[in-house]
Parts: sequence; C-alpha cells; structure tokens
Amino acid sequence: MDLETRQRIEYNIIIPILAVASGLLLASIFIVMSGHNPLEAYVKMFQAAFSCESFKRCALFTTLQLATPLILTGLAAVVAFRSGMFSLGQEGQLYLGGMTAAWLGYVIHLPPVIHPAVAILAAMLVGGIYGWLPSVLKVRVGVNEIISTIVLNNIAILFVTYLINFPLRADASTTAHSPVIDDTARLMSFAPGSDWGMGFILALIAVGLVYLYLWRSIPGYEQRMAGQSRRFALFGGIPSSTAAIRGMFISGSLAGLAGAIEALGVHGRMLQGFSSGLGFDGLTAAILGQVHPLGAFVVAILFAGLRNGAQLGLQFSMRIPRELGGGIIALMILFVAAPQLYQPLINRIDKWISGLSQSQQAKERV
Amino acid sequence: MEPAVEMLDITKYFESTRVRANDNVDFSVGKGEVHALVGENGAGKTTLMNILYGLLRPDSGTIRIDGQQVEINHPDDAIRLGIGMVHQHFKLVPSFTVAENILLGTEPTNALGILRKSDEIEMVRDLSNKFGLPIDPTAKVGQLPVGMQQRVEILKSLERQAQILILDEPTAVLTPQESQELFHVVRQLAASGRSVIFITHKLLEVINVADRVSVMRKGNMIGTRKIQDTNIREMANMMVGREVLLRPNKKPMTPGKPVLEIENLVVAGPGGIPAVMDVSFDVREGEIVGIAGVTGNGQTELVEAITGMRHAELGKICLMSKDITRRPVSERRRIGLAHIPEDRIAVGLNLETSLDENLVVTRYRQPLFSWLGLLRRGAMRDLSKSVIERFSIRAAKPGGSIAMLSGGNMQKVVLGRELGGEPNLIIANQPTRGLDVGSIEFVHQTLLEARERGAAILLISVELDEILALSDRIVVLFSSRINGRMDASDATEEQLGILMAGGTLEEIPA
Repeated sequence: MDLETRQRIEYNIIIPILAVASGLLLASIFIVMSGHNPLEAYVKMFQAAFSCESFKRCALFTTLQLATPLILTGLAAVVAFRSGMFSLGQEGQLYLGGMTAAWLGYVIHLPPVIHPAVAILAAMLVGGIYGWLPSVLKVRVGVNEIISTIVLNNIAILFVTYLINFPLRADASTTAHSPVIDDTARLMSFAPGSDWGMGFILALIAVGLVYLYLWRSIPGYEQRMAGQSRRFALFGGIPSSTAAIRGMFISGSLAGLAGAIEALGVHGRMLQGFSSGLGFDGLTAAILGQVHPLGAFVVAILFAGLRNGAQLGLQFSMRIPRELGGGIIALMILFVAAPQLYQPLINRIDKWISGLSQSQQAKERV
Repeated sequence: MEPAVEMLDITKYFESTRVRANDNVDFSVGKGEVHALVGENGAGKTTLMNILYGLLRPDSGTIRIDGQQVEINHPDDAIRLGIGMVHQHFKLVPSFTVAENILLGTEPTNALGILRKSDEIEMVRDLSNKFGLPIDPTAKVGQLPVGMQQRVEILKSLERQAQILILDEPTAVLTPQESQELFHVVRQLAASGRSVIFITHKLLEVINVADRVSVMRKGNMIGTRKIQDTNIREMANMMVGREVLLRPNKKPMTPGKPVLEIENLVVAGPGGIPAVMDVSFDVREGEIVGIAGVTGNGQTELVEAITGMRHAELGKICLMSKDITRRPVSERRRIGLAHIPEDRIAVGLNLETSLDENLVVTRYRQPLFSWLGLLRRGAMRDLSKSVIERFSIRAAKPGGSIAMLSGGNMQKVVLGRELGGEPNLIIANQPTRGLDVGSIEFVHQTLLEARERGAAILLISVELDEILALSDRIVVLFSSRINGRMDASDATEEQLGILMAGGTLEEIPA
C-alpha cells in the first residue's frame, strides 16, 4: 500500500474508531461512579442493542429501526456539507416532512404502495423546499446558513406543533397528535411487534444513491468542487451557486424522507415531540462518519445501538440512567473533533505499518 | 577572510516527507562578505537557513559563529548571536508605524513601563541615518511600498545588532529599481563589516551583488565559487545538474487574426474602486503579448475580467470575434480560453481532491468525460495518464492526491490541464513565480510551443527578463491604466522599469 492511500485510511477510519473508544473509556468513569463495573455494563449494553433472541423478540430490529431516521438525516448532512453549506436544518426539514406525510396519510385515500409513495414524495418535496430556502438566502443575500437553518428549525417545529394542537388535532388526549393514517399509507414492517421495515430499505437505497450522486455524477462533482474550493469552482467554470442550491434541496428532501418514514412507518401519525433531536444526531453521525455516506450509515447504527442499549441494557437491567447513551455519543463527538489528540498514536501506527511493508519488500527482494 | 558563520556537516532528515533536505552540508560565510545561496526549489537552501536561524534543529553537524561552537535552538538564540533574518513574507504589523514595528518588543519605556513615543521616533531616525537607509519613522507600514517594508525588516534586524543578515529571496517582490537600491544597501552593509546571506534563484542578481556563491542541489552542497571565477551558465548547470537553455529559443512568427480584443475595459477592484481604467489592446494568433507592471496595478482584475471570474463594468471583451463580456466562465472555456492563474494553489487547483478531478474541471461537460450525467472515470484516468506523461509529473499518479506535490509539479498539473486541450487563447499570469531554473525553462518552452501552434498568449509577469524574453509586444500597466506599449525587440529593462514606475520615456535624456 502506498503512503497516500495508507494515510487516507488512517485518517478516515482510525480516528473515528479511536474517538469511539475514547468516548466509551471516559464514560466508564460515570459508570464506576454509579457503582458498576464498566466492562460488564458495556457488554450488557451492546448485547442489549445488537442481540436477537427470536424473530419476535429482537433488539437488533429495534436498533435498526431507530437507526433509519438517523441514517437519512446523516445523509442529509453529508450532502449539505459536501456542497459547502454547513446546514443544521435537518430537524426542521424532518418535522415538515413528517407532517406532510402524516397529513396525506389520512386526508387522501389511495391504494396501498401508491399511498405511501405519494406521501413520501410530497414529504421529500416539502423538506427539499425547506432546505432550498436557506441556500437561496445565502447565495442571493449572503445570509449565513448556520443562523438561518437554526431559525428555520424553530419555525418548522413551532408550526407543526401549532398544526397538531389546533387545526389538525385528532382528539383531546394529553399529548397533541394528528389523526391516525390510513392502513393503506402505512409502511410495511418486517417482523410482528417491530417497526423495522420498508423505511430501512429506503434508507439503504438512499445511502447507495447519495454515494453515486456525490462521487459518480456530474452534479455531485460540481457540488463537491464548489464545497471544497469556491475559487477553484469559479476558475474552472463550475456554477457553484446552482450546485449549492441543488445540494441543499437534495439534503432537505433526505431529511423530509426521514420524517415521512417516522410518520408512516413508526408513529402512524404526527405527534408532539415527534423527534428527540433526530436531526442533530444525524448531523453528528455525519461528522463522526467523516462526512461520507457509508460512514454516516455505520455511525447511525452505532448511535441507535448506544441509545437502545442504554435503555434496555443499562436502565432496565442495571438501573444506570439511559441518558448515559446520549452522554457517550456527546463524548465521542468531542473526541472526533480533536484529531490532533491521536497524532502521536497515528504516527506510531504509521511507522509500524510502513515497517511491516518495508520488511515485506525486503523479503520479496531476497 | 575570517569566517563569521561556519556550518559543518549539517544533516537534516524530514520524517513526514522522507526527504533528506540537507545531506552533510558545509557552508561558510566570511566577515564583510555578501554570499549568495542558490538552488532550485527543494534544494535545501531554506532548510539550511532555518537551521542557522534556530527555526529547525539539525540531526547532526556543528555551527560556529565567529569561531565559537554554538547551539541554536530558537530564533532568540540566533538573535542573541547577532543573526537576523528577513523572510520572503514580511513579518510586520501593517497598522503600526515604522518606528513601532522596528522597536516591537524592545520599546523604550519610562520607570512606569509607559512607552516613550518621541524617543522611539528619535531612535529609529538615528538608526536609519547610521546605516544610510532613509525612512519616515512615523509612516504606517501598511501604506508603504514593498521595497520600503523590506527596508523596515532590515532595520529591525540591524536594531537587534545583527552582524549576519539572512535575506530570503528579497527581490521576489521588488521592482527593478527597488532591487537596485537593495543591492546598494546590501553592499553598504558588507562594507561596514557585516555578512549578508542572499538567497535567490535569479542568477543575474548573484553576479550583481555577491562576493561568493554557494550552489545547492537536492540537499547537497554542490560547490562554492568566487563571483569572478564563475558565470551564469556554470551556476545554472550546477543548480540543475545538466545543461540549461537560459534564453528560450524563439522562432520568428507572423501574427494572424486577432483572438482576444479588449476595448475600453473598466473593471472594479476591491471596494468598488476602478482597478482597470479604459484599457484597450488585442492579442493575435501566434503572438505573445506581455503585460509588464508592478504587482497591484490592475493585473489581477484585468485577468479576472478576461477569464470571467469578475465582471467588467464597462467596455467590451471579444474572444474569437465573439462578444464574451457578459458570458460565464464555462462558455469562455468552450470557445478556447485557457487560464494559468497567479495563485495556482488557491485558484488553479483543489488540493482536497484527486489529480483526475483537478484535470477535468474545465471540460467535464464534454461527451468524452460524461455519459447520462455520470462522470466517465476511465476517461478521466486516461487524461491523467497522458498529462503525467506529456508533462513528466513523475510524483503524480492517476487518481492520486495532489496535495503532496511540490510547487513545480503543481504548476505542471495546471499547465497540463490548461495547455492540453490546444486552446486558442492562453492567459498566463505569473506562470513561473516561485519556480526554479529547470521548471522555468520548461514553462517557457511550453508557452512558445503553443505560440508556434498558433495560439494567442497574454503573459502577465513581474519578471522583466521573462517579459522581454518571451513577448512579441509589451503593454505596461501603471495605476490601472496602460502607460506605454512597445515592440519587445525595441524594449529595454530600463525603459520598462521607468514606465512601470509611472514615468514617461521622454524624461530620459537621450
């Protein structure tokens, strides 16, 4: 392996792995403080998250179901970041997408398959438009997208909350929610008693398509070049504003798809507190996953596993608060943001591997 | 001659790039001597000087100052030993006055630690009189011309009692007149018993200013010569390690029809102030038109307007008889525009992506490289292969990264992309800036080949020898306007220097 490929692999794989390990290590202090053996707790947690007793009682299915929206909001962040837009707007786009799908799920009546397809496409369109908005504001008037997307998140969440509390409220229950969707609109699940289903397949397809879009297609090339170096794009004749706007539309539609899957596949309606930060968890999955669709996919499953495992493994069986799962995620992000921390270790690994390949070459010469 | 600096058996190996930047290098400078240190990029000159100035530590070797063995671990040690360094990029505070910059860190204060402004000005005035380097101590450094800023740097070193002064490519940013003044200053410093180490790759300067010259190549010291015992040819051959063509071979050509026509062009610069005022000229097939001028007289904006990176306020730009004044970059490129940008790293390349994706940026829409909206990776790889071969970019690989390439190889990547498609018009902005003798020869040859093929070339350069050696016609820019045009065959460096400084040729007595 040549120097360059090796260094790329080291950076893109070793650093996230080290960050995950460091996060677990530091969090173990809290487990010790609560009077438990961290090793035992982690074993329990991972067993709880990724085990499968039977087809009907399968924690892994739950983890994958929890991972589905994270994969999609993660992809949304990947596409936005790769167009040079630091968009934090996935949460708001997810809310609007979920609302659109939930609404179409009961106001129109269509045959199976077609009904969810229509609802999903509409949700993606709405999410896309909500992603397009901050990019146009940025390109035309120079509004910083970090600020505009944060503001737009609040607007979207409050608007949806208003809708399900007043005009679209189903009944007088304590938590506000919209009416239940038609059975024809429901996304199929794979196992009884689990919400893990078609949505996950859609997320998998999205991972592949986003990869193809970014690295194989002309528009993907344009938006990556524009994202990496505006001046280079201008110099080469790449329409970088168009590329950024297009990227943000795609990003928003992916987050909208995440909302639609939650509404049609999990809750069957729109409800208050629909997302507990799915947008932000997806965003962090994208960052820890090195802004790559495959990385975001793997990390999204890891995050879902941590949350699920913290609930089932830690809270239920060991009485450690499940919030520790979120705490571990936060620590991992902190560590991945500090790659310098690992430089000495990486240098040693680098030396060790180059030593191996040199001795191998020496052997070949003999 | 008594040695002021002796560097013996210096070796420095860089782990990260696996390069032996200095390999058992010996180097010595006498008291009162101007010693030129020359070599191609990456030859190890700067490493050697950074070791002397305490910015790097050698793996092995000894340094003696005035015969005493010393350890230099930090620039503070170097300053204490009387070593001063003027870097290529000045380390000055633009919003401070000359006096404040020179005395930064050694300001005179009263018992309460409060600055004494009037003393500062007096001290700097004394210093500048003592060394015959006139300067206004109260002027703001940011508003001074580059030559004066350099003088501030030199005075700063002298204020810190520098006996040994390292000048890192000091003339790279100067006009010919400013360079002449600098040579005078350097000779004066040597006459006062100080030693000056003069890093450069311009060999004519070596002859003009130095007593001795040391040539480095690939981390080795090739040799040291007295100036009277050597010549430019020998130095160039020592630098490159083979025979070099110093003056490009320019064949006579009859220019064809106009390719680029510019009429009354006005372009706004930073802050909306016009940076190009009422400029008109044309460039024809098989012709090189040189734009001479000191940096910052409108060249950047002119180039950006022609290439479509900045819009023109007024006037007209025609390429191949098509009005392109308001057309996007992509369309100009389609009509046959090639652009070698001034800042090849920030503008001409995207270091975060592969060689393939860098090379295809100007033509990814062509059917050869795209199919149903998808990129044809195979065709891109073939393009990389052919550019690597044709421009002998040995360090690059198809599909590989370009961030690790040397400056010369990066320039070749840009050249390979811009000249590969047989363009009609080539805008070459400072195409050899920062390159070494061997690479300059290559760039010049390539541009001349394009000219012989019938391409029109607009060459923008602050290097007068380059303008004179390559151009057929010369246009001088001064303060946003054209301040003179001449045929290259009639032009002299002196005349151009006067026009570049805003003068007129009538002023010189015949």
